[in-house]
Amino acid sequence: MREAAPLTSARPPLGTLAWLVTRDANKTIGSGMASIELLRRTLERRGWLDDREHGVFNAVARFTPGTNVLAYLAALGWSYHGATGAAVGVVAGSVPGSVIVTILTAAAATVDRWRAVRVALTVATLVAAGLVLANAWSLVRPHVRGPRVGWTLASVALAAALSLAGATPVRVLLALAIWGALTPPRRTP
Amino acid sequence: MSLLLLYALLLKASVTSFSGVGALPQIRQDLVVTYRVMTDEDLSRAVLFGRSSPGPVGLYIVSVGHAVRGVPGALVGWLALASPAFLAIPMLALLRRWLHLSRVRSALDAVIVASATLLVPSGLLLARDAIAQLASFL
Repeated sequence: MREAAPLTSARPPLGTLAWLVTRDANKTIGSGMASIELLRRTLERRGWLDDREHGVFNAVARFTPGTNVLAYLAALGWSYHGATGAAVGVVAGSVPGSVIVTILTAAAATVDRWRAVRVALTVATLVAAGLVLANAWSLVRPHVRGPRVGWTLASVALAAALSLAGATPVRVLLALAIWGALTPPRRTP
Repeated sequence: MSLLLLYALLLKASVTSFSGVGALPQIRQDLVVTYRVMTDEDLSRAVLFGRSSPGPVGLYIVSVGHAVRGVPGALVGWLALASPAFLAIPMLALLRRWLHLSRVRSALDAVIVASATLLVPSGLLLARDAIAQLASFL
């Protein structure tokens, strides 16, 4: 498959991408999307990603079966460096954690044996929760600043209502995709 | 259990879920109930290890693989975890091809807004659990 034109011309070198993904995607505990928020901040600060692109990768990741974070990293890596970049993104985002999980399992250690470890893990989870909420805001932010604020609020309300009604996340996303396709922005004359 | 069968079962569970722990019911059905190569306790411990390690929560699949077949099993678990991620590439390619259409753009915007909306309860639940846990330490 040919690599599609990236949304921005600037891109990190492959080695830098590998390092940044390894560093940021393996920094949080309890939620992968918190890691993505850290990575987004790093890449945006360096001019290699903007909120729009982040939103596109996030949408693709949501619709990809399996672990959302790895799908995000595959899409991100492919966008910058094709198949090699995708492989680097997935490996860098999953191997360090996999090694730790394997060591823990092999040692049959119970991480909650020590109080200090439990407290540290809980604090890390609280930080991760904050990052997840920050990620949600970064996704919505471009849409509440444009001309379609009302439409964005209606979309949020619809997604929340469907979710509260018990619809699975995939069904919520599909319903919102249909809603979005049926309500495109009006063309200005 | 052969490594190939283990990979096939873990891949099936991984590819039919859309979140980190979404594969758990299928893994339990296949490995605990049907093939009996691990126990519920092993599975709970795997989830605990997955949540206690940096990176995606779905890493517990690596621990599941290890519980069944040791280090080669862990490698197979990682492969089953990583393989579906590459499905994002054709999806991204298709999306970019159609992104100039206003209806596609609008559908994508709606999905992005919905993703954000769905993240809020996850973040709040994580925070609530963490705060309750911290309170129990005091």
